[in-house]
Amino acid sequence: MSVLAFNHTTVLIQGITGKTARHHTKNMLAYGTRILAGVRPGSGGEEVEGVPVYDSVQEACRDHRLDASVLFIPAASVKQAALDALRHGIKLLVIHAEHVPLHDAMDIIEEARKREATIIGPNTPGMISPPEKVKLGFVPSAYFKPGPVGVASRSGTLTYELVSRLTAAGLGQSTVIGVGGDRVVGLRFAQALKLFELDPQTLAVLLIGEIGGSMEEEAGELIASGGIQKPVFAYLAGHTAPEGQRVGHAGAIINSASGTTQGKIRILEQAGVSVGRTIAQVVEMMRASLGC
Amino acid sequence: MRLFEYEAKEIFSKHNISVPRSRYAESQQGVFEAARILNAPVVIKPQTTTKARGKAGLIRFADTPQEAAQCFSEIMGRTHGGEIIRGVLVEEKVKTCKEFFLAVTVDYTNAVPVLLGSPLGGVDVEADAKGNPRMLKKIRLSPSEGVTQGQAFEMADFLCAHTSPLPWHHLHEELQELTRSLYRVFRAYDCELVEINPLALTEQGPPLALDALITIDDESQFRHPELVRPRAQSQEEFAREQEFKKRGWTYIPLEGEIGILSSGAGITMAILDLIHFNGGKAANFLDTAQMDRKGIYDAFQIFHKSPNTKVLLVNIFAGLNRCDELALGITDYLRDFKAPFPIVVRMIGNKDQEGRAILEEAGIKPFPSLEEAVAKAIEEVRCVS
Repeated sequence: MSVLAFNHTTVLIQGITGKTARHHTKNMLAYGTRILAGVRPGSGGEEVEGVPVYDSVQEACRDHRLDASVLFIPAASVKQAALDALRHGIKLLVIHAEHVPLHDAMDIIEEARKREATIIGPNTPGMISPPEKVKLGFVPSAYFKPGPVGVASRSGTLTYELVSRLTAAGLGQSTVIGVGGDRVVGLRFAQALKLFELDPQTLAVLLIGEIGGSMEEEAGELIASGGIQKPVFAYLAGHTAPEGQRVGHAGAIINSASGTTQGKIRILEQAGVSVGRTIAQVVEMMRASLGC
Repeated sequence: MRLFEYEAKEIFSKHNISVPRSRYAESQQGVFEAARILNAPVVIKPQTTTKARGKAGLIRFADTPQEAAQCFSEIMGRTHGGEIIRGVLVEEKVKTCKEFFLAVTVDYTNAVPVLLGSPLGGVDVEADAKGNPRMLKKIRLSPSEGVTQGQAFEMADFLCAHTSPLPWHHLHEELQELTRSLYRVFRAYDCELVEINPLALTEQGPPLALDALITIDDESQFRHPELVRPRAQSQEEFAREQEFKKRGWTYIPLEGEIGILSSGAGITMAILDLIHFNGGKAANFLDTAQMDRKGIYDAFQIFHKSPNTKVLLVNIFAGLNRCDELALGITDYLRDFKAPFPIVVRMIGNKDQEGRAILEEAGIKPFPSLEEAVAKAIEEVRCVS
């Protein structure tokens, strides 16, 4: 098993006719993702990699039962596309776009809450469930293998770096979720932890965090309250990041004393999380503990 | 993007939030004229995007236009928080009988706007509220619905409960209307923060926004092009910021010796950490999504022009990109320029064998391990210095 995305999950690609979307539609299909339809206004009736393209989400939903949508839609227009998918009953959205306006992100998340849907992102490479042979997004699947580790991460490239080392150490993954690098995102660490806790395949969880925001602190509080029994490991980037500056991710900013790695690590360690100071260290901790 | 006070007050005025009479000026003559037209004792407030101007002694009072012009000449051109004072707001002095704090900002954890109010307005509201959290009210809002009638009533009730006697009986209704106007500004301008501190009650008339703070979400700038212009930065810095933004580059200059060229915010921070843990210091870093031949070539120019880059560390984990493209970008640079620093490359992923062959021909031996590359970069610093 995995969380959120399974081999039976049926998928829509919004903005499917763009160059990047075409490329990754092909990769997702090759990996095993069940993509049933794509949307691009004005391109209805066309095909991309054998996937039928519709003019609207409404039309796609008329012909198919769709569980999830992956949005290859630019930041400026992603709100409308996401609301469209949510209003047609799609329950899992992966929003890749970086630089989504703050108010648009809040509006999307509000609509998702009303409809009990899950938003992954914005500003995420997506997610992958290796045991289920499904990926929603563009993580490079060659580095991901089926196994017992659930991963939730705020950073794409750091995920590839860490997961490739886990895989090399013989530690495969149940599901890897890029929760997104923005200040406002849909699914957060605490929610990801609850999903992994319920998944029998997942035996341990790795959180890949960074400076800024409060996601690590919320995760620490959840674990400290006894809400998570499985072992949790963490790595955080940004120990030496300059204060007050935005470091690439919109979510990665330290304001005065809050949001520092030191503060986050203290809360996580008090909750019993094993925190590696370096990438190599956390991988070694997991290898030693999970016995490979 | 934080606006100047005078810009925020112009926006407030358009949205039925009362502000004192004022004029913006950038010259001694302009200040003199402004004070003359206002025809009253005035406050001279430097326009910066920094905090605590008052505490720095930069807010001045003047009774006559001559005095106002004199005050201006004393603060003009001075810097505050690294920012040069280029203009001032000349504003009529207001006699207040009570000061509140009112703001709308974002609760990032819950992804909703939050309305904040306190009957303790003034410079120390944050510290005061921390010491006495009951004096700060927070009401979470629906982004699409904004401040409801009930929520506006609740906030007005809270503020009035701590104000006795009420200076006049319409205050409750006026505060309700004000919270709703404030939210309209927050929404219309894609704000991260809209703050009135202090919100002044006077002997007569509506509550007045004595200060005004508006911070617009950077990702929403394209919806407000009329407001995008240099404020804290020089024209040159501003142009560079816009250029980098267009390219999707994050460039941050630091104090050390090692330049970092990498793709992705998380891994870039992780490299920064590794360098520091191993006794090195970063000179700057550039995080770019454009790890192709041309993108790398262009990125190298930035380091080429940065004199404190003693060693350049390049990292690519090519999941989506290609190592051979990166290698060609580097060899293109080496063909056109004499590199003023040794180049250390960590390369792994798509087409890394091809990339390795290209770089080795140019005399660079790439490392597959990040840790080894970082160690090498630190060692190179010791060699060159």
